[in-house]
Amino acid sequence: MPGPLVNLLWLVGILAEAAVVVCALKKGAFRRYLLLNLYMAGLLCVELARYKIVSEYGLKSTQFVYFYFYSDAILTIFLYFALCTLYSHVFSEMKAERYVKLGALLLLAGTALFTYAVVQQSTAKLVTHFVVELSQNLYFVGLILTYVLWGAILKLRETRTRLIQLVLSLGLYFSFLAANYAVRNLYPSLSTVFIPLVQLCGIFLPLAWAYAFWRLPEEARLAPARLAVIPR
Amino acid sequence: MSRKLAVVFLAMLVLVGAMGLKTVVTAHGDGSAIMANGAGPAPITPWKNGAGPAPITPWKNGAGPAPITPY
Repeated sequence: MPGPLVNLLWLVGILAEAAVVVCALKKGAFRRYLLLNLYMAGLLCVELARYKIVSEYGLKSTQFVYFYFYSDAILTIFLYFALCTLYSHVFSEMKAERYVKLGALLLLAGTALFTYAVVQQSTAKLVTHFVVELSQNLYFVGLILTYVLWGAILKLRETRTRLIQLVLSLGLYFSFLAANYAVRNLYPSLSTVFIPLVQLCGIFLPLAWAYAFWRLPEEARLAPARLAVIPR
Repeated sequence: MSRKLAVVFLAMLVLVGAMGLKTVVTAHGDGSAIMANGAGPAPITPWKNGAGPAPITPWKNGAGPAPITPY
């Protein structure tokens, strides 16, 4: 079993994930952000199953490794589609849902093809290799998509506070994980510092979403800048 | 038609950008993966070869502890 600190952070993460689902249900936002909430509910179930597997078979067991990576791939695909629904929310007034779906499917297919092209040279564990690489590639696609969505939010002067909070927290989450990974590989001696930070980051996303559902009503709006400053 | 082509173009552009960013981020990496689902500790990537010491996993999904590689 892992150490007490790891277990504690794990428990907090699980509670935060449960809080997202509960807050969404209590505030009537579950169906409006259905995929987002299904992702979080799925993550909660997966986390509980992982904990059970670790308790029964141990941290270094093959069962845990395979369950971890395969469940993670499914979760990443779920997160990808949840992100696409945020696009649908932002572009809802433009009636662009059809194009969002088309783009999402194309991008997923392109990512899968690219991943297969990369891993097909792998002689052993081709399927597992493909699954993990697809998750990794989708993670980066999600990162870019979140930045693009943020650009669209700025461009369209989106004012829905809850939607902005959901997108921004997702962007921060993706960005921090990528930056953490890059810095940790550049400075391996600091990995003892950065690894707990990753776990904290995993807690941040469900907490931010729970806050968005609990404290920010759907009708809340950010006050836009009314006047642009024009230099004379 | 042009809108559909624009969607295709944007999708490919995002894919290229994402893979470029991945290359930059993992330039000094150990070949392990990054994912983002949950707060738990993650296992080492499952396709390490050789007898060298295994790196710590770079991505987190859930708050649970991470196992060693399966192969």
